[in-house]
Amino acid sequence: MTNSPTKVTVEREPVNWSVVRVMLGRDLGAIVRSKALILPMLALPLVLLVLLPASIGLAANGKQLRVERFIDMLPTALAAPVMAHPPQERLVILVLGYLVAPLFLIVPLMISAVTAADTFAGEKERRTLETLLHLPVRDRDLYIAKLLGGFIPATAVAWSGFVIFAVIANIVCWPVMHRLFLPTWLWMIVIVWLAPAVAAIGLGIMVRVSIRVNNTQEAQQLGGAVVLPLVILAVGQTTGLLLAGPKVALGAGAVLWAIAIWLNIRGARAYARDTMATRL
Amino acid sequence: MGEPAITCDGLTRDFPSGRALDGLTIDVQPGEVLALLGPNGAGKTTTMRLLNGVLLPDSGTATVLGMDPWRQGNELRARTGVLTENAGLDERFTALENLVVMARLRGIDADVARRKAGDLLERFGMGHRADVKVQGFSTGQRKRVALARALLHEPDLLFLDEPTSGLDPAATRDVVDLIGSLATEQGRTVVLCTHFLGEAGKLANRMAVLFQGSLHAFGTPAELAQGLWTGTEVRLDLDAPATAALLMNLEALNVVIQAVPTPNGVVVRVTDRDAVPVVVATCVAAGVPVYAVDPHDPSLEDVYFEIEARAGAVALPEDS
Repeated sequence: MTNSPTKVTVEREPVNWSVVRVMLGRDLGAIVRSKALILPMLALPLVLLVLLPASIGLAANGKQLRVERFIDMLPTALAAPVMAHPPQERLVILVLGYLVAPLFLIVPLMISAVTAADTFAGEKERRTLETLLHLPVRDRDLYIAKLLGGFIPATAVAWSGFVIFAVIANIVCWPVMHRLFLPTWLWMIVIVWLAPAVAAIGLGIMVRVSIRVNNTQEAQQLGGAVVLPLVILAVGQTTGLLLAGPKVALGAGAVLWAIAIWLNIRGARAYARDTMATRL
Repeated sequence: MGEPAITCDGLTRDFPSGRALDGLTIDVQPGEVLALLGPNGAGKTTTMRLLNGVLLPDSGTATVLGMDPWRQGNELRARTGVLTENAGLDERFTALENLVVMARLRGIDADVARRKAGDLLERFGMGHRADVKVQGFSTGQRKRVALARALLHEPDLLFLDEPTSGLDPAATRDVVDLIGSLATEQGRTVVLCTHFLGEAGKLANRMAVLFQGSLHAFGTPAELAQGLWTGTEVRLDLDAPATAALLMNLEALNVVIQAVPTPNGVVVRVTDRDAVPVVVATCVAAGVPVYAVDPHDPSLEDVYFEIEARAGAVALPEDS
């Protein structure tokens, strides 16, 4: 008697980019209008990418800080890239060339987590999700739009933030460095390869979390519990990776991308109309 | 009568919290307004979501506008419009923006979407607030905008979930009038989920009464009344309670099923309307003056509450 499917049929049709574009425009437009989203998105990059390089540049200019004792504690292979520079440049190279990089990864991770909580769990909170589910839009197209709605701001802020960071660092540190020292190859790996991977991981986690909760605050709290250890891990490990050289950094990035892709494929499977409607 | 707009047979859906819909079998004809009646948790919204292919059933079959809602969900949803119980408008956008985005997600060109949205907002009395953010709108204004959104793509079938909940009486009247015009003037099929009998009585051709996920009655109010009660009820105003002798005389008539005294007369259930003159003649012959005769067709409220009472009577042994 039953002919009703208990699972959604696999969608093999091409992505409807027109739907994705409209949905993406709506979500990005909403982010731009929301102070609650924009302020945290700008505050952290301001501290990490503007105030920090400015302070380090001023400290290096004043020759108030010496880093040799810190570098002495590092294994010789790791200390070598910094020690290869003249003594007056070592503070700038160590902090702005290596130590800020892992902190910088917090920016895309945090922004992707905040925007994903808003675009996925926020739809439930605003009670707009059911309206979307009643549209003639495929689950996968909706998911891709939502994913890009988190990924694009995170990557855009990371990349534009890096440009601002590099300009400020080069200007403020000019009296010490007498040259443009940023971007370095290592920084380019962080920006182009690692930062988007980290953003995608943040999204993959938040999608799974957002499906299970009813509002943005719950998503951020639960997501934070998962994302925070990753932040600590990233900060703890990335400097070592960068000091170990570009090949290791590229390899680590590949691992991060693999995790991100796995998380997001699982997220896409979980983002099914019936599942979402069941949790309304 | 042509092919039904909706048929479903044995539609069942379970949630972790329990069975939301249990073997629903109904049909809706094109251009008909069907009221899904029942208290909160009866399964009305689940029915609507299943029929629009948003939820998958655990068992049962359905055809909506000639399509399988679960295998042709997007094709079906392109031809249906939905007003959800909570208007579902994004408060960060204006009324016009809300409508235009939804129209564009339905594949309508941006310029056409803007024009249609403006026209509909104007028609629903919201033209003056088209460019205002939805955040400050009253519930009634939100419902109007949401109703306009449901009509942007000129759907053949409308699902309206509690369209008047949270509205004041004036706004309720306006929204009911709007829905009435959609059905009568434009010939759309409408499935109306509600627990307000007033709007169902005004708008619906047939009603399906749900309790705890089960269908307890389905048909026109008159058909349901026939299923609930035999014959026609007649109220006689005698200016005093009927005497025992009169009651005996009335019950002796083969057209009278039952006679029950009231403070100012008697309520007589007769086999059909043709029996009314016989009843009146019997009273007059017994020397009892008859001041008024009211053959009383049961109202929607009478029918609904009788069904509810009987459903409760059925449910009680299971609960106890």
